[in-house]
Amino acid sequence: MSWVIDLLQLIVLVAAAPLLRGIIGRVKALIQNRQGASIFRPYADLRKLFRKEDLVPPTASPLYRLAPIILFAATLVAVALVPTLQASSLLGLPGDFILLVYLLALGRFFLMLGAMDGGSSFGGMGASREALVSTLAEAPLLLGLVAVSVLARSTSLAGIAHWAMGRSPFQLSPVHAMAIFALALVTIAETGRVPVDNPTTHLELTMIHEAMVLEYSGPSLALIEWASAIKLNLMLSLLIALFAPWGMAATLSVGAMAMALVAYAVKLLVLALAVAVLESSVAKLRMYLVPDFLGAACALAILAVAFTALKR
Amino acid sequence: MTDVLFYLLLALLLAGPVITLIAARLRQAPAISAHLLFVALVAGALASVAMLWQGRVVSVDLSCLAPFSFSLLVDRLSAYFLLLICLVGAPVALFSGSYVERHYHGARRVWFWVLLPWFLLSMVLVVTASTAFAFLFGWELMTLFSAGLVLIDGHDGERRGNVFTYLLMMHAGAAAVFAAFMVFLPHSAGLGFAALRTAAPLLTPAARSAIFLLGFIGFGTKAGIVPLHLWLPKAHPIAPSPVSALMSGVMLKTAIYGLVRLSFDFLGTGPAWWGYLILAAGAVSGVLGVLYAIAEHDLKRLLAYHSVENIGIIYLGLGAGMIFAANHSPAWAAVALMGALLHSLNHALFKSLLFLGAGAIADAAETLDLEELGGLFSRMRVTGTVFLIGCCSIVGLPLLNGFVSEWLTFRSFIAGATLPGLAPAIVLPLMAGVLALIGGLAAACFAKVFGVAFLGRPRSVEAADAVEVPRAMQAGMAILAAACVVIGIAPVIVLRPLAGIVLQLLPGVVLPQQAFALTNMLPLIALAVIVVALILRSLCRAPRITPTWACGMPGLDSRMQYTSTAFSKPLRKVFSQVYRPERSIETLPADPPFFPHWIAYRSVRTTSFERSLYRPAINGILATANRLRRLQTGNIQVYLLYMFLALVAALIYMRFA
Repeated sequence: MSWVIDLLQLIVLVAAAPLLRGIIGRVKALIQNRQGASIFRPYADLRKLFRKEDLVPPTASPLYRLAPIILFAATLVAVALVPTLQASSLLGLPGDFILLVYLLALGRFFLMLGAMDGGSSFGGMGASREALVSTLAEAPLLLGLVAVSVLARSTSLAGIAHWAMGRSPFQLSPVHAMAIFALALVTIAETGRVPVDNPTTHLELTMIHEAMVLEYSGPSLALIEWASAIKLNLMLSLLIALFAPWGMAATLSVGAMAMALVAYAVKLLVLALAVAVLESSVAKLRMYLVPDFLGAACALAILAVAFTALKR
Repeated sequence: MTDVLFYLLLALLLAGPVITLIAARLRQAPAISAHLLFVALVAGALASVAMLWQGRVVSVDLSCLAPFSFSLLVDRLSAYFLLLICLVGAPVALFSGSYVERHYHGARRVWFWVLLPWFLLSMVLVVTASTAFAFLFGWELMTLFSAGLVLIDGHDGERRGNVFTYLLMMHAGAAAVFAAFMVFLPHSAGLGFAALRTAAPLLTPAARSAIFLLGFIGFGTKAGIVPLHLWLPKAHPIAPSPVSALMSGVMLKTAIYGLVRLSFDFLGTGPAWWGYLILAAGAVSGVLGVLYAIAEHDLKRLLAYHSVENIGIIYLGLGAGMIFAANHSPAWAAVALMGALLHSLNHALFKSLLFLGAGAIADAAETLDLEELGGLFSRMRVTGTVFLIGCCSIVGLPLLNGFVSEWLTFRSFIAGATLPGLAPAIVLPLMAGVLALIGGLAAACFAKVFGVAFLGRPRSVEAADAVEVPRAMQAGMAILAAACVVIGIAPVIVLRPLAGIVLQLLPGVVLPQQAFALTNMLPLIALAVIVVALILRSLCRAPRITPTWACGMPGLDSRMQYTSTAFSKPLRKVFSQVYRPERSIETLPADPPFFPHWIAYRSVRTTSFERSLYRPAINGILATANRLRRLQTGNIQVYLLYMFLALVAALIYMRFA
């Protein structure tokens, strides 16, 4: 029966992803003293895009339309590795966090190729900048995960979540805190939020992700938008699972599941608020300051790994 | 049966060139040579698979033909590398059949088919030799035949200079390997491998370390670790593409074989600093190799630098294996070693695939400069698809072979945290970050390669008029691509023989099952990705083809696309400390700041090693040689005096020594 819950948590994460985006957008609007759109607007956007026709440049190869599909599929399979409602996941296995990092890389690689297939300047520009950010984000992401994994003496995400559940929130070690900070910084970079990238801009001087998807339209664009919403939800859920899994269901009862769902939703809401407040209060970094930003994440992750060894 | 297939391989490789020469006058001569080579290598592949599967040992003693003891013995480790040679060699032979016919005529064609089988034979000799003499014989022939093959494309001054660098560094490396064998001698009954193996425990720790260091330098030169990689980006790109594929894919792996044979088989477990040395060499080679690659826009030079990177990844696995072994953790040493050995095979497959792809691009678009390519995927579907598979494999993306070996290496690094002692528990997990950085940089580099060469708009007339290469060339590449996919989805087919090899090198080891959890999961994940992709694909409607909005301008042209240089600019800027280019801007007229008539911009990147490490050494040698020249007076009496003084010195030494 456990796998039904695993499947359920996959569906919840995927289905709630646009809602999370809507909430962040609404909160940002409220902070900026605007009324803002409904929190359900991302769903309406997706529906609209899925109904439109797909426009393809004459020079594009078949890869142009394949790229969003592979991006979506890889992101979906990556979601199957993240525990949210209980400390297990559909495809969990020892060492699954390496697989997670590389599945995200698979999707990103194809999105970069798809962008370059458009044949305009913007695709290459976005792909080049995305290459910079993702290259520098990969090492701190993995090192942060390694630090937590070593601390928990488990190499699977579910095992780490299980270990963290058994500890009180006040037993937080400095190593844990460093790993949280490193992974939080990487999350901002990986999901393209301010101050690394601005998801609402279309200014060629600053855009990264938006430049890559500029030529896409219709269902292909819908897949990309949904996949990036899922990725944001995935990274936030990962932070929750690794550092604040309290409330995850320990048994398979309906009550425990309902509690887990509520706890998960509340934690996600808190993180969404944090993202919205952060995006409203800091300015986007110049692109050549992003390496410094990720360098800080990398330094924190390296220290976290080194101190886990010292702490034994 | 296995023996017969192995003998068939040796006989056909030996006789192939002779048959080529005899049949040179016939019209079908190239086809005969290519088919003969293909058959030989398929026989060799079958033989090695059988030997790996059954663990049978085949030996041949040829001492009667040679002045020293000369024999071959194929154990599991040798069989694995034999498989590597044959598995890559066969598709390359298939590819060459068509490639050579289109590019070379007359004597060059004959030379190609004479040298290629012997080049392969020399590599077979190296990995199957069971005496030091046979090993070194093969080792030297391998250098000479490959140098001959590099010169087939022509021999202008620059090319000769590059080949000279190659030969010089190879001979220096071979000297170190030779010396490594010699250090065994006082304790060893002979230079047979069995004698060396029994002698190794009797050596003093200092002698063992000396052997290891000599092997590290000797094999490191062949493998192309930084800073001994200088020859690699010079020699590989100028060879014909099938030869580049063999040199990068296979020849470098003979150095890995030598290092594994020397350190794991002969010397056994050494002190931990051996492992740290290998690990450091791997980390430096991996990161610098990929950084140099990103800055290149000549496809073959770029691929050559990626060989440095991948050798670095292999070294990371080997180093981790040595550290685990030194810390009495053979189980994880086995995992790290399996990662390194598997990456050797994987790199052989995808790197030769990419080099063959480069050959196909050069064939179709007549250039390898990325800035002149573009849009090839629409014109060359098969080449594009297999090249994409090669790119994804080398980046280490899941569901392809590169991921499996990197996964094993990652797993062993993370397990390093369980070792007692502070140093390995800090260093090994941090190496996971280094490997991730290498992976990220490689992804950026190959997004550039595939995006610029195959996607978007063509950047030159030649690229716009490119046509798909002939079937035989496609087939050669497709075989290699298929192998990449099969290993990537069902790695169990190679992991089982690999387990047999590490059992031979680390007897009695129990493999940690959790390190292989991925192998059962990968087919499932592949299925999930494919099913999701197929469902989404079937939901998509036919698209409408319409020009891209050009902001109201007449239209987009290919000059508006990002170039290879532009793509890599952000990364080059961030890592500018590594490149340190020499830039100069000249304007005419020089003084008025606006509207000059003429501007020249020059940016030269020589790798900093060439400037700061090799140049002083070369200058020093030349200066010493100039000073020594004074000894050479040309006067016979002076030479007689030298001999007399030498004799007296020898006598004095003998008296008091």
